[in-house]
Amino acid sequence: MTTEENNKKPREEDAVDQKKRKSNESEKNEIGAQKEGAGDIKSDKRAKSKKERPNMQDKEGPMKQKRPGKKTDVEEHKEEESPSPKEPLLKKYVALIHEHLGENSLEDAYINRASKELPTLIVQPESYFSIARLLKTHQELQFNYLSELHGTDFKEYMEVYVHLYSFARKEHIALKVKLDREKPIIHSLVPLWEGANWPECEAYDLLGIEFKNHPDLKRIFLGEDWEGYPLRKDYEPYDVEV
Amino acid sequence: MVRTEEMLLNVGPQHPSTHGVFRLVVKIDGEIIQEATPVIGYLHRGTEKLAEDLQYTQIIPYTDRMDYLSAMTNNYVICHAVETLMGLEVPEKAEYLRVMAMELGRIASHLVWFGTYLLDIGATSPFLFAFREREAIINLLNELSGARLTFNYMRVGGVKWDAPEGWIDKVREFIPYMRKELEGYHDLVTGNEIFLNRVKGVGTYTKEDALQYSLSGANLRCTGVNYDLRKEEPYSIYDRFDFDVPTEETGDAFARYQVRMAEMEESLKILEQAVEQFPEEGNILGKVPRVIRPPEGEVYVRIESPRGEIGCYIASDGQKEPYRLKFRRPSFYNLQILPKLLKGENMANLVVILGGIDIVLGEVDG
Amino acid sequence: MKGLAKGLTYTLKNMTREKATYHYPEEPLPLPDRFRGIQKFYPEKCIVCNQCVNICPTDCITLTGKKHPDPERKGRIIETYNINFEICILCDLCTEVCPTEAIVMTNNFELAEYSRDEFFKDLQWLDENDTNIRKEN
Repeated sequence: MTTEENNKKPREEDAVDQKKRKSNESEKNEIGAQKEGAGDIKSDKRAKSKKERPNMQDKEGPMKQKRPGKKTDVEEHKEEESPSPKEPLLKKYVALIHEHLGENSLEDAYINRASKELPTLIVQPESYFSIARLLKTHQELQFNYLSELHGTDFKEYMEVYVHLYSFARKEHIALKVKLDREKPIIHSLVPLWEGANWPECEAYDLLGIEFKNHPDLKRIFLGEDWEGYPLRKDYEPYDVEV
Repeated sequence: MVRTEEMLLNVGPQHPSTHGVFRLVVKIDGEIIQEATPVIGYLHRGTEKLAEDLQYTQIIPYTDRMDYLSAMTNNYVICHAVETLMGLEVPEKAEYLRVMAMELGRIASHLVWFGTYLLDIGATSPFLFAFREREAIINLLNELSGARLTFNYMRVGGVKWDAPEGWIDKVREFIPYMRKELEGYHDLVTGNEIFLNRVKGVGTYTKEDALQYSLSGANLRCTGVNYDLRKEEPYSIYDRFDFDVPTEETGDAFARYQVRMAEMEESLKILEQAVEQFPEEGNILGKVPRVIRPPEGEVYVRIESPRGEIGCYIASDGQKEPYRLKFRRPSFYNLQILPKLLKGENMANLVVILGGIDIVLGEVDG
Repeated sequence: MKGLAKGLTYTLKNMTREKATYHYPEEPLPLPDRFRGIQKFYPEKCIVCNQCVNICPTDCITLTGKKHPDPERKGRIIETYNINFEICILCDLCTEVCPTEAIVMTNNFELAEYSRDEFFKDLQWLDENDTNIRKEN
């Protein structure tokens, strides 16, 4: 066997493994979705990540289970047992946003439990800026610190992820917005936080996301003559063989 | 009357006080800076793109090369992100080793800053003293991890090596030694009138500005914001240690100096406690699957690096490689305020302000 | 003036302290055992499992194997083994995954060569690089 064959072999196995896992998942998700039903806050995302985790746990033994005594029940049950401590907060945020900016401004809201119980909002592109402004200025929200901003190419859509922190309330929130992959344009956050300036340039440089009203949108790392956007999944490197 | 004329001046990309490849296009009128435009990207290696084809263990050596002055915190942030996403538990002993390594790294990083900052301002001898002490730390970390700068020490779920024989004692001996040297630095520099004239009241910004520009670390704490992630959201085992978060109110270059000097003392405090509490027995690697495959989902964690808040975002699709990996690199965010600080300043203050921010270009460019 | 005088006292005090510099090229640097230097390779131990190739973050290792010449014995033996030190970052992952410790680290770190081609180290070179071998692996 040559090196290439050797290299290939484990990868093929992985792929098969992967497929199996995927199919398991989708089955489970369907069940999960039926059981959970309609709630004020959708939690299918959460269900997904939760559902996978027990898989890992089966292999590795109990890792972070809060109540080992009640382990015997099914996974869905466990989820109902321990709602996230941040759930009331998220409800409050959602209510405030609905009150000020209408029901349609939010696409989804859930708690990202894997990320240390992080309240996450998925917002409509049109209301992205106004929600960010509300989060920053509202007396009960006061998310005055922009901790992180970046984009991701999810193949079907582009996503901008913003992580905000409130010094007054010591709370976090993640703000996400899905953009059309062909024409990713979104309002800039620089009028609210100066700190969004370079991160937005970075997202523009590496992913081609355009930020409206940005004071100086430039290709900050690669230079204006660079072709293509490297962090896009379909990016073809210029010099493949080097 | 002297007639002045506007002119463009390139500072860098090879200017010594930028500590890397960083270019600053300055428009000056006489000695006064009218406008400063930072140009970055000379050291952009596309770590995030490279990581998309790498397994999580393989990414760790790449993180060493971002903030190369405190590679331990970079190692930690990626391991911590993966561990959080997978819900892995890290053995206690590994956490102690990590904390000790990180705090030693923090002191070493601040020492480099201290030495080179004063060198930029024009004092040569503090640089030599600082590097002598840093050498002691580098030797300790070399013994622990097998490398002087690019440690590649941490693993998902633990660390690679246990402490070698006698290492803990060496750290124990190092603490009083370093304390004494720090006192010496204060004698040498802190009271020096020339130094004070150079840094006091230079590069001042307010708390509001700092928050607006997403500054973090000493750059934020120098304006009176008491914010240190080790205290705010204790990760690892930082909740077991008793230490203070030094802050200053004035927000000038001298305040940043004081904050960093005090931080070294606090790190020594943490080290002292960690050495005492260090468990001799125990595993250094938790129960980790052979192939690290985090579940589908995304995670964002933040920790306190010597330069500020370093964050790591992972979007995983359940594969061995991350779908998207993103580092929130503190130097990148901290540097944004530079044009604002330089405007209207004297040209001679440029290095004082730039040095005060404490950037590492490997981190700025990612 | 007081601050200046204080600083000068510190500097003067340091004049009598022992030297902190190394006499490096004349005297070898003292290195801890764990120090990661150029790898040593044991061809007889290698089972051609390819794990080092797969784990290498910079893809600097290439190898080929062949059938064991003795038809009685199963398994494969190594035929060629190359590490490209132009891109090797000495990260230690190859020695970490190796199940038979066929590849280990040494404390040798001097890699300067006159030509880039010489950074391409082959099986023989890596086998002969057998000084200062690391004890813990």
